Amino acid sequence: MTSPAITVNGLHKSFASQRVLINLDWQVQPGRIVGLLGRNGAGKSTLLETLLGLHQPEFGDIRLLGDAPAAFSAGTLARIGYVPQQTELFEWLTTQQLLDYFAGFYPRWNHERCNALLDRWQIAREQRISKLSVGTRQRLSIVRALAHEPDLLVLDEPVSSLDPLARRDFLRELIGDVLDRQTTVVLSTHILSDLERVAMDVAFLHQGRIQLQGALDQLQEEVRRVHAPAATLQQLGIRPLRGGAPDSDSVIARLSEQQLALLQTKPDALLTPVSLEDLFDEVTA
Amino acid sequence: MSLLAALSISPGAGEPIYRQLMEQIRRLVAGGQLAPDTELPSVRELAQALAVNPMTISKAYSLLELEGVLVRRRGIGMAVAAGPASQAAQAERLQLLRGTLERAAREAHELGLPADAALTLFAQLLEQHP
Repeated sequence: MTSPAITVNGLHKSFASQRVLINLDWQVQPGRIVGLLGRNGAGKSTLLETLLGLHQPEFGDIRLLGDAPAAFSAGTLARIGYVPQQTELFEWLTTQQLLDYFAGFYPRWNHERCNALLDRWQIAREQRISKLSVGTRQRLSIVRALAHEPDLLVLDEPVSSLDPLARRDFLRELIGDVLDRQTTVVLSTHILSDLERVAMDVAFLHQGRIQLQGALDQLQEEVRRVHAPAATLQQLGIRPLRGGAPDSDSVIARLSEQQLALLQTKPDALLTPVSLEDLFDEVTA
Repeated sequence: MSLLAALSISPGAGEPIYRQLMEQIRRLVAGGQLAPDTELPSVRELAQALAVNPMTISKAYSLLELEGVLVRRRGIGMAVAAGPASQAAQAERLQLLRGTLERAAREAHELGLPADAALTLFAQLLEQHP
């Protein structure tokens, strides 16, 4: 088994009196596309920025590609791609100047791919960045991150301003990277339909921790909305995913094979599939 | 026929995408739209076309191979099996319709529709889509 692309142990991060990340543990295996989910303000950006060394954690151990953020070598930095939520690009430069500038930092900069993406996504090369629309800036930010062919790609809400076709095209680029180079991708987004297409794993950030992580397929198969008399739920030991005891005769629960088989023999039990949106609501409400 | 044009993914359905793909391919094979020996698109091709994780496509293909619906051909990739799965008996094909009809039956109950009204509607729909 290869070592994880990301390992986080006991991470704490506060801003002034606000505790954002509380004893957070997380692992991301290499070659996976992982969706990071959470409500607004849950701390997704803080988590990603702290992983990348943009914030100093109070406690905790972080390893990206084996290195601690405080001691990233130039080699490790060149293997990490990042698309921030707010694209603070160099406003006074043109698209071409910006990309030339970044190309200088990266040994693996792929000029051919960069040019192909600029053409396909119709990003004007001689336009000043201050004159670009929000969506175009977002695309430029993605081009910048994909062009140096990173082994680990961290994407913080990369497509919030893109239309569905542009998003689809972006997903295809990601899939190409995973196919060609087994890139590890961490993708934070609120667009669950996109995530469902490309993510193998999902991780839910809530109350400062990763509350639930798993293979999306498996979660979709094991999690069901169960309508059954409270006595049945109790008898089979079915507990709501959100924790606590069942508070009604309808719960969203992660079922074992045995629980599933037993429920299917009960005429008064009704099982329905749960969408990713329902799951999000259950885990992060 | 082009498999790429026939497949469609519905995120948000609560059903894993690999299962959606398996069900659709099974139907196309059982119904004869995908004839035995038909070559399937590569994992890469289908992943890119549907904008779906390649591991999801591999999973669907491998499970269909285990079921005997597809066969892996050296150097070519996946193809539709020539075995009994592709010449599914009517009973087997009917079984593939069961899930959809079970859902419809449940909804008919929830709507308080009598059985004959629901059956009449189904008969009409069958005639409209020969």
